[in-house]
Amino acid sequence: MAENDDRNDEADYSPQSGLSRRQFVTGLGGIGLGAVLGGVITGGLAQPASAVAIEGSEGYLVVDGHKCIGCDSCMMACSLTHHGDLSFSQSRIQITQNPFALYPDDLTVAQCRQCPFPACVEVCPTGACHVDAANGNVRTVDVGKCIGCERCVNACPFTPSRAIWNGLEKHAEKCDLCADTPFWNEKGGAGGKQACITVCHMKAITLQKDVPVQAGDVGYNVNLRTKDGSAQLNLPTGDDGFYTPAEIAAAKAAAAAAAAAAVAKVGH
Amino acid sequence: MGRRLLIGAIAAVAFVLGMVYAWRIAFADGTELLFDSGWWLVLLAPFLGVLAAGLTRRTAPVIEGDRVLRHDGPAMLEHWTHGIGTLVLLVTGIALGAFFIPSLLSQQQVWAAMNVHFIAVVVFMFGTFYYGANAFLSRKRFREHLPTKNAFKFTVEHYGHLLGNKKYDMPPEEKYFESEKIAYLLALGSTALVIVTGLLKVAAHVFDVPAWIMGVATPTHDVAMVAMGLFFVAHVLFGAILPMGWPMLRSMFTGYVSLDYAKSEHAGWVEQIESDDGEPIPIRTMEHPAA
Repeated sequence: MAENDDRNDEADYSPQSGLSRRQFVTGLGGIGLGAVLGGVITGGLAQPASAVAIEGSEGYLVVDGHKCIGCDSCMMACSLTHHGDLSFSQSRIQITQNPFALYPDDLTVAQCRQCPFPACVEVCPTGACHVDAANGNVRTVDVGKCIGCERCVNACPFTPSRAIWNGLEKHAEKCDLCADTPFWNEKGGAGGKQACITVCHMKAITLQKDVPVQAGDVGYNVNLRTKDGSAQLNLPTGDDGFYTPAEIAAAKAAAAAAAAAAVAKVGH
Repeated sequence: MGRRLLIGAIAAVAFVLGMVYAWRIAFADGTELLFDSGWWLVLLAPFLGVLAAGLTRRTAPVIEGDRVLRHDGPAMLEHWTHGIGTLVLLVTGIALGAFFIPSLLSQQQVWAAMNVHFIAVVVFMFGTFYYGANAFLSRKRFREHLPTKNAFKFTVEHYGHLLGNKKYDMPPEEKYFESEKIAYLLALGSTALVIVTGLLKVAAHVFDVPAWIMGVATPTHDVAMVAMGLFFVAHVLFGAILPMGWPMLRSMFTGYVSLDYAKSEHAGWVEQIESDDGEPIPIRTMEHPAA
């Protein structure tokens, strides 16, 4: 009947090592198996729950929706400078228009908020969506590492998602404050120029260093129409565009508290 | 046979359940990709395959009355785990979007396909390394897959004969047709590429792999997948769809082919089994009596 096929076991015996080929294979498999299992078990037991603090971005795009006329120049500039192509689908800043709504609700500008606690960075399984310390901690996507899981697109708490899927180049991407614009010969990033700001002839977009006060899901309550102090700082203003110094101080305190709460959340 | 059937059925059910689980959890809130939470299984599976090979005792081909044992249990195990793993990897990989093809999925379907891809990776890695370690243990089994200097001549004669050209007679093919041996090289190369680049892609879930490495690994993975897919399609066509492959397909479940079939299609192999030492016999001329 059937016989053992490994008739070479004896021939494979090595006087130098004292191991047969089969002993070597069995040992390799056993040691490897034990090493992986041991590493997983001890690694899981020994490693404390890690908390990584995420540095805040050094720049934030803020938009005054009251000034925006929906010309889409920012979208075309974004796509053109990043991709060399005039494609609304590839713009990281999006303008949505509702023809049935009245001014100023007929236009909504959706720009990335560079969240203090960026969900897109948190969920990325490969580190492609990351905080770029070399470019003012802007939250951006290293497209070379993106595996196309689209978790960042779905994790963004805002609608439309500020992380978008580039169906042509097959990777996720988001606003990097123009840190990487191959088709624009300007220095971008938190300390440089942004294409959308540069082309906006209504001056409806600007960059600020402080964390803006969030105003729900629709964006920031920003007034770029007046020249008073609160507008320059892009702090929240009332309908008249003016706040008292006390109100400005209160708004600053609220912004600081929100940032501190976000940092505390990361710590947990 | 009954025991083998039972084990095969349990393994198949476990595999299907694993895929269903992988698909469903992708739609649950707060769950991670299996490539994130279970990456270590991708390392565990190869070592498990190597260990299993070390503990496996193979059974040599042998003539038993009017039939020949062609595939022992380990051969079936390595074939079906590697093969089914490859099939699921190809389907999910193409659905996820290969280099030149847009993704057929969106949002959570992408995660679900990735999770199913993960299950297939584990099965594929086990089967492939089980095969590789078995080949390492028995160099004869590995050598019999490699083309000989008869590769071109036998292939022309074999398929000339199949196509009805009376100038040709069936050459005395050994355990594997020379054409299969040539394809084996393609399978070997593409499998190695897929594994190396695939491990880099898994590593990206754990380590900070430089983008330029990922930029090379991802398209290479895709190109290797295309080569592997071509081999897979040809393998299924000749091994399972065309009637000429059905005896061999049946053997992948039962282990046996008929002696008549073996003498007709693999005369050189039968001669090897009948020879005393089981080593490949010298190259024969076409005077060999083909059945």
